Amino acid sequence: MSIAYIRLESFRQLKNARLLIFSLAVPLVMLFAFGGSFGGSGQIDQTTHLPWIVVTTLQMAAYGAMIAALSQSFNIVTERSIGWNRQLRITPLSGTGYLISKVVTAMALAIFSILVVVAVSVLSFHPHLTVGAWAAAIVGIWLGVIPFALIGILIGQFAKPEYAQPLFMVCFMGLSLLGGLWVPLQIFPQWVSNVAQVVPSYWLNRLGQMGARLDGDWLTPAIVLVAWAVAFGAFIIWRYRRDAARS
Amino acid sequence: MNENPAIQLKNLSKRFGSLTAVDGVDLTIAPGEVVALLGPNGAGKSTTIDLALGLANPTTGTASLFGDDPRTAIVEGRVGAMLQGGALMPTMTVAQSVALVASVHRHPLSVAEALERARCTEIAKQKVSKLSGGQMQRARFAVAVVSNPDLLILDEPTAAMDVEARRLFWQSMQEFTAAGRTVVFATHYLDEADTYADRIVMLAAGRVVADGTPAEVKAVVSGRRIRVTFDRTWDAALAAALENMPGVRSVEARGSQATIVTDDSDATLRSLLVAYDDAHDIEVTAHTMDDAFLALTSKSTSSTTSSRTSNATPATTPANGVRA
Repeated sequence: MSIAYIRLESFRQLKNARLLIFSLAVPLVMLFAFGGSFGGSGQIDQTTHLPWIVVTTLQMAAYGAMIAALSQSFNIVTERSIGWNRQLRITPLSGTGYLISKVVTAMALAIFSILVVVAVSVLSFHPHLTVGAWAAAIVGIWLGVIPFALIGILIGQFAKPEYAQPLFMVCFMGLSLLGGLWVPLQIFPQWVSNVAQVVPSYWLNRLGQMGARLDGDWLTPAIVLVAWAVAFGAFIIWRYRRDAARS
Repeated sequence: MNENPAIQLKNLSKRFGSLTAVDGVDLTIAPGEVVALLGPNGAGKSTTIDLALGLANPTTGTASLFGDDPRTAIVEGRVGAMLQGGALMPTMTVAQSVALVASVHRHPLSVAEALERARCTEIAKQKVSKLSGGQMQRARFAVAVVSNPDLLILDEPTAAMDVEARRLFWQSMQEFTAAGRTVVFATHYLDEADTYADRIVMLAAGRVVADGTPAEVKAVVSGRRIRVTFDRTWDAALAAALENMPGVRSVEARGSQATIVTDDSDATLRSLLVAYDDAHDIEVTAHTMDDAFLALTSKSTSSTTSSRTSNATPATTPANGVRA
């Protein structure tokens, strides 16, 4: 394992302004659009009993974190199409090391995105929430992002350059919709909400809310997210081994 | 001292579906040798390199570097390579690329030294996407040498370089080999192989078809081709007479026209014109490397091995240049 490599790699990407704008612009614009118009005067959300502005902030933080993590796929696709990963294979960096560096980078971009969205919200709207509750919410969202970092890597491993974008959109929109990031699941029949609980994006948002309320049952999301992480992780390693040869 | 060969390939084959890219290659390269892998496109050079580095799994046979599994040698930082389709990330600078690769090695050179060895100091701060073809290859060379390797494998390192860039590149390469290190480079330029290698291994259709010093291999590859038309009908006696003329390697006939491959076209022509006054429409052309490859490949179906000790001798026919 090479800590130095991981550090260089993640800082390199954090300095990539285009990528950061991509993962921050949409959540911030939506934060001001929705948060500003509906939550500016301290309304309370009836489902979560949190201030509406907090719910919106967490939703947008989750959203930005998800984009940041998934966007790792473009990076990997580029590295594969250019042959940079072949160059890396003739170094001591192991396959596991390479993949870990990608997860760490995705997680670094995600936490950066979460922190910026939360900071902007706190500075602009002054929502009522303790520092501890914010911290728990941030950690909750951040842990919830792990499966998305892995999905991003999987897309990166499978997609040809021309398919990376559509695949990204399908995963991103599908998971957002199924996980209730866009349309509240309450408007669907109860069974839809039940089914949605196996989708990782459902918990991405819920974990933030649970953190903000400093309560909730952590066991179910832990099991769901670990199961997804293990499944994606195994798939990624299988794929990486097959990908070794130049075809 | 470590007496293990730098590279040892034993009965190495690689098939992709019905295509056999590498077909039973046996090759031993000793530490300190500078070896050119010469062959046309599709000869199996790149696949052989991938197999030697453990980047692809062989269908049959084994590859070892310094007596070990290729991966072990790579992890020890003993191997550097410039691969085909192994480029640098366009958004990074040259120095960043070198630093990133250096960060995963255990005992790398300093970034500045790797850049200097590859003549990259002036382009260190440039973005990879802004480099010319020659600069790009130099940057890749810097990445390949940053681990301070004992063995350097270069797949067509001077592709996309102009003459000056090529000269500069080989100059930095010679500093590297002067220190007694092993270099294997793939090329399809005979002159490059001739000038910079002390041993040439020719590959065609996935097989080693010749292996020897540049002089020996050049003798197989070079030569002239005389095309001549006779007024008489072709017969075996004529063919035998032509084959016995000085310098002649092979004779082929089509109708009343013959194609003679010769090592000494002047001597052959003198005898030919003296012996046959009906010989006309004579055409002398250089025997190209492609011709040599073709000849060697078509006659090499029974050849299996080629090693340093049984070198290709300056051959009387191309087939004899291929030693089993």
